Amino acid sequence: MLEAAAPLLELDDVSVALNDGARPMVSGISLSIRPREVFGVVGESGSGKTLLARTIFGLHDEAHVAGGRISFNGEELPQHGRHRAAAAKLLGHDVGFVPQDPFSSLNPSMRVGKQITEALYLAKGMPMHAAQTRERAIGVLAEVGIPEPELAFNQFPDQFSGGMRQRIVFAIALSQEPKLLVADEPTTALDAITQRRVIELILERSRTHNLAVLLITHNLELLRQSVDRIAVLYGGQLHNIVKSADVGQRPLHPYTEALFACIPSKGRTLAEIRSIPGEPVGAGFGTTGCAFASRCGFAVETCRTARLPLNDGKGESFSACLLGRGAEP
Amino acid sequence: MSQGVPMVELEGVAKRFSRRAFVQSRSFALHDISLTVERGEVVGILGESGSGKSTVANIITRLTAYDSGSYRFEGRDMKRLSRAESFEFKSKVQIVFQDPYGSLNPRATVQDSLLEALVLHQRGLSRQQRLAQAARLFEEVGLGSQSSARYPHAFSGGQRQRIAIARALAVQPELLVCDEPLSSLDVSIQAQILELFVRLIRDRHLTIIFISHDVSVMRLLCDRVYVMNQGRIVESGRTSDVLEHPKDDYTARLLEAVY
Repeated sequence: MLEAAAPLLELDDVSVALNDGARPMVSGISLSIRPREVFGVVGESGSGKTLLARTIFGLHDEAHVAGGRISFNGEELPQHGRHRAAAAKLLGHDVGFVPQDPFSSLNPSMRVGKQITEALYLAKGMPMHAAQTRERAIGVLAEVGIPEPELAFNQFPDQFSGGMRQRIVFAIALSQEPKLLVADEPTTALDAITQRRVIELILERSRTHNLAVLLITHNLELLRQSVDRIAVLYGGQLHNIVKSADVGQRPLHPYTEALFACIPSKGRTLAEIRSIPGEPVGAGFGTTGCAFASRCGFAVETCRTARLPLNDGKGESFSACLLGRGAEP
Repeated sequence: MSQGVPMVELEGVAKRFSRRAFVQSRSFALHDISLTVERGEVVGILGESGSGKSTVANIITRLTAYDSGSYRFEGRDMKRLSRAESFEFKSKVQIVFQDPYGSLNPRATVQDSLLEALVLHQRGLSRQQRLAQAARLFEEVGLGSQSSARYPHAFSGGQRQRIAIARALAVQPELLVCDEPLSSLDVSIQAQILELFVRLIRDRHLTIIFISHDVSVMRLLCDRVYVMNQGRIVESGRTSDVLEHPKDDYTARLLEAVY
């Protein structure tokens, strides 16, 4: 299956810090995404999932990569001052990025078609006004399921609903034929029916175009049903990497278990839903001690003082639990 | 219940929003909304954004006027209320909003917000009794360990939603309308507030209307549910019947789509 393939995106002990703060907000992140893999990142708000994704691709103005190595397609990205420029070169070519809010990510005063032909020009050097570029743009709109793509080509973003706008954002990202699509909460602003259609569109595209996907969301149940593997972030720490099929099937990291147990999913009764006591810890916890210890039923003294283990990247899965919970049997 | 008059009765209620110049508006309206809520019932209104469910909540709480049809609360027509009756209505019906960041007064300590509700709606309590009552409410919503002499910004989103619920309960309402009370909260906090509602429903025998897009809230908390789509009620019935055997095509598609 996928085992033999070299990783497409590889993070090794990556940490991210805000430009005006010394302490890293996200730290010790090691994970790898293989070509064609659909990889999910889950975390509550403030867990650092969006900060991490935006910063490693140089999209965050107020944060930088403070440590660790990032490789894409076997090539290591330069560090420190040269990182952002290198990441920016990946974006729009090998990496497509879909932000959360479809209402602010399109240019409201530019026709939809031009926003796509511009992307084609920038990514592939196709002349913006050529008939062939126009054909290609209309083709891309059709591929993401926009009805009457010729008409849509000449319309403005505000003439579309939220779901259709998010499809247009996808069309722009996909027109560049990236190897990796990074989608940051792409369906949070959308209705349930539209959400499922957009997620299915991503998955189908991944299958048909050998596209790897990094899907960031707070919705563990959505990921469990959609992706291959899930990384679980909490307090800016990487706590768990699990195969989706294992969620609910074998013991996982206590936080992943707790997160799964509080979802009121179909078929669960009230008695089967258990909330997590206390409040979520924000990003920036550091690497000393487990950020979840204050809410974890298993926590002992070591959990608060020991250094959190790093993912050595050897296995498919990983658990950072200091008590060894959730390690693959 | 015993006298046979429903607590809330909407009959053929309609509402139009007029277009404004230069504002791109989706023409949006409610058509022929009829629903009843009996005393002691927990009723859900399920719908997606733009379905009109929040407008229904606002009409029931008299925050929005309606154009035609009738609304009777405990048998009384809501179009003709005197000032005194209007105030009395406010003591009987309370609402909890989606956004706990916008619904609390940022310039009052949460204790003062609670005390204000008690001063207005529970006349005849001494200051000592009001303070004791406020402390009891704080305890009841699970904030017993927190100091209430702080401002809303000192509390997290989940805690603020608990405060908003405590403030609504301070009035001792007969009907509590909750407009998406969970959707701005994190999953782990949603489960906590869900547990709080379960406890309140059990202990206080409240009549509650839950407005939500969240099928699981309906399934877990509501006796009956109304499903709304594009300003109309498309289906209604006992929650288990509607969610397990939807008759309407839209309901079926919605249930199918939920993760």
